[in-house]
Amino acid sequence: MKKLLYMLLATFISVSAFENVNINGFVRNYSGMLTGGDNEFSVIQNTFSLDFRKKADRIGFLVSPYLKHYMNDSLELNLKEAYIDMYFDNFDLRIGKQQIIYGKAEGIFITDVVSPKDLSEFILPVFDEVRIGVTSAKLSYYKGTGIFELTWVPVFTPNTLPDASSIWRPPMPDFPVTPAFDHSDTDVENKIENSEVFARYSAMGSKMDYEMVAGYFFSDDPVMNVYKEIDSGTGEITGITVAPEHPRLFMAGGSMGLPVAGYVLRGEGAYYSGKMFQTQDPAEKNSLTEKDFLHYMAGIDYSLFGTTLSAQFVQEAILDYDSEIDKDEFSSTITFLAKKDFLREKLWLELFGYYGLNEEDALIRPKITYFFADGFDVSAGANIFTRDSGNFGQFDDNDMVYAKIKYSF
Amino acid sequence: MKIINIILISALAFIGSFTALKAEEMTGKTIMEKVYYNPSGDDTQGELTMSLINSRGDTRVRKLMQYTKDDGKTEKKIMFFLSPADVRETSFMNWSYTDGRDDDQWIYLPALKRVKRISSDSKGDYFMGSDFTYDDLGDRHPDDDEHKLLRTEKIGDYECFVVESVPKDEDYMYSKTITWVMKENYLGLKREFYDDRDRLLKVLNIKKFEKISGFWTILETEMHNVQKDHRTQMVFDEVKINTGVSESKFTERSMTMGR
Repeated sequence: MKKLLYMLLATFISVSAFENVNINGFVRNYSGMLTGGDNEFSVIQNTFSLDFRKKADRIGFLVSPYLKHYMNDSLELNLKEAYIDMYFDNFDLRIGKQQIIYGKAEGIFITDVVSPKDLSEFILPVFDEVRIGVTSAKLSYYKGTGIFELTWVPVFTPNTLPDASSIWRPPMPDFPVTPAFDHSDTDVENKIENSEVFARYSAMGSKMDYEMVAGYFFSDDPVMNVYKEIDSGTGEITGITVAPEHPRLFMAGGSMGLPVAGYVLRGEGAYYSGKMFQTQDPAEKNSLTEKDFLHYMAGIDYSLFGTTLSAQFVQEAILDYDSEIDKDEFSSTITFLAKKDFLREKLWLELFGYYGLNEEDALIRPKITYFFADGFDVSAGANIFTRDSGNFGQFDDNDMVYAKIKYSF
Repeated sequence: MKIINIILISALAFIGSFTALKAEEMTGKTIMEKVYYNPSGDDTQGELTMSLINSRGDTRVRKLMQYTKDDGKTEKKIMFFLSPADVRETSFMNWSYTDGRDDDQWIYLPALKRVKRISSDSKGDYFMGSDFTYDDLGDRHPDDDEHKLLRTEKIGDYECFVVESVPKDEDYMYSKTITWVMKENYLGLKREFYDDRDRLLKVLNIKKFEKISGFWTILETEMHNVQKDHRTQMVFDEVKINTGVSESKFTERSMTMGR
């Protein structure tokens, strides 16, 4: 099968040369090492990525295959995106595997729920590699500076989670007995009634930019139904079955960007219905309870002496909260970014970070990038996790340094 | 915020209306006003190649396609980056206003796949690592400076007015500029920029200009930072003026589709 794919790829490259197709891409080596313990390599990855792109008057396409080679000599061949565009006077139609991005938050997913995420390395890869393309049809209708978008996703794609052996696999909760897993309800069947639909209206102007979004979809992350078998005589738990499933969700929200005296103020918020939360309430047979949920962000961007500065306050809130729920009623995170170039944009310094207010944990990501020549850059950085619990602190043992070398063509 | 303009509709780069004023009646201010108010067309498009050359002769090249449209109140510009490869498909849009409001700016990064509003860069920041600041590339209003006609002199075959312009704002990045304006067409041919210690910082030379669709158009320039011995050459190709660039060119659709 792989041979066939490679042959198809080679044929496509050959044909592209005659069909006036633009071919771009990059070659990259990415090597990372854990700083604790035995200085173990956490990742050694070689990537070859291509973009075949054509734009004509009424039609265009993009095909983006990539090959990733890992340190265990495994090879991954996949398509980041592959779609066809049809252009009309007032609307466009894009059909195929595509990444669709909503919202104005950076490094946080609030209304950005169309494309699932590849979390096999947590959220550390560049974001266009974290987002997974979904096969969908997107209709965009244009009026003035506004765009109305309708997206139909016929087949559900979940988030890609880390392997069981991965250092990025979140720890399992402590169960009194070893649980059995039941995946019979995990997969969402490929049926028309299991389609996902999303709508978005966005507009930009001199006073502000804004967008309103809504979606009816499946949760990209599974929730865990936990069924307990209890000995009626002793009252002890004798068995536990964990059954992951992806519940249906409804989301409505919006975002805005507003220029104020040299600053850009950003905001984004979403209301979710159908969210399931783990609970200790014995009345819940499967340890899950359904609650409405809010997720929102306020942020500010500023440029000072050529340094780009940005900060965001992000909060999640469970409505009609019940104290038996495992997750806190409010979970708050702050993000910050500082970025500056030197030597006429040859050298870039960047510091990005998340700080979780509930657990006081953090992920701090300093990075330095040097462009040796146009399209050829080398970067080095670190991912530093602090504390030992929380979204970031749970990976406290995974502090790492890394280097990347990339040639774009 | 003013950004690069394909035809450099800048304070330095205009023809004058050929009013029959004699040189001896001209003042520094009237000369610079004639430079500023020259007609430049309602819309322009063209491809810009920008070469950054350091003191060792190492060269980096940036190419982009730019469209502008000006309705007299708002000047809209959009740039599509063509090279180097790592910035291809990036687009940048700027709306600037004659009423003095801050410019609006957006950027589309293909990796993020969304249009993002960005805070207006400081006018003193350098554009894409070049020797041009954003302000160098914009329309500096003649009322922002005090102008003085120093002399007339010849550069090559061109008889020029030499005008010194001192900014009214003491915190401006230059202490003064000196501009050589061609008498025959009120096109700036050369400009010297002096730093805050009154030392020569940069020299801009116009190397090629032509009349396109009835408008004098700069096609090749070089800015030389004499203190760092770094040069930026700009070459404009495929320049078209007043072709009726659509308003829809300056929208989110255009930025994301790259067309």
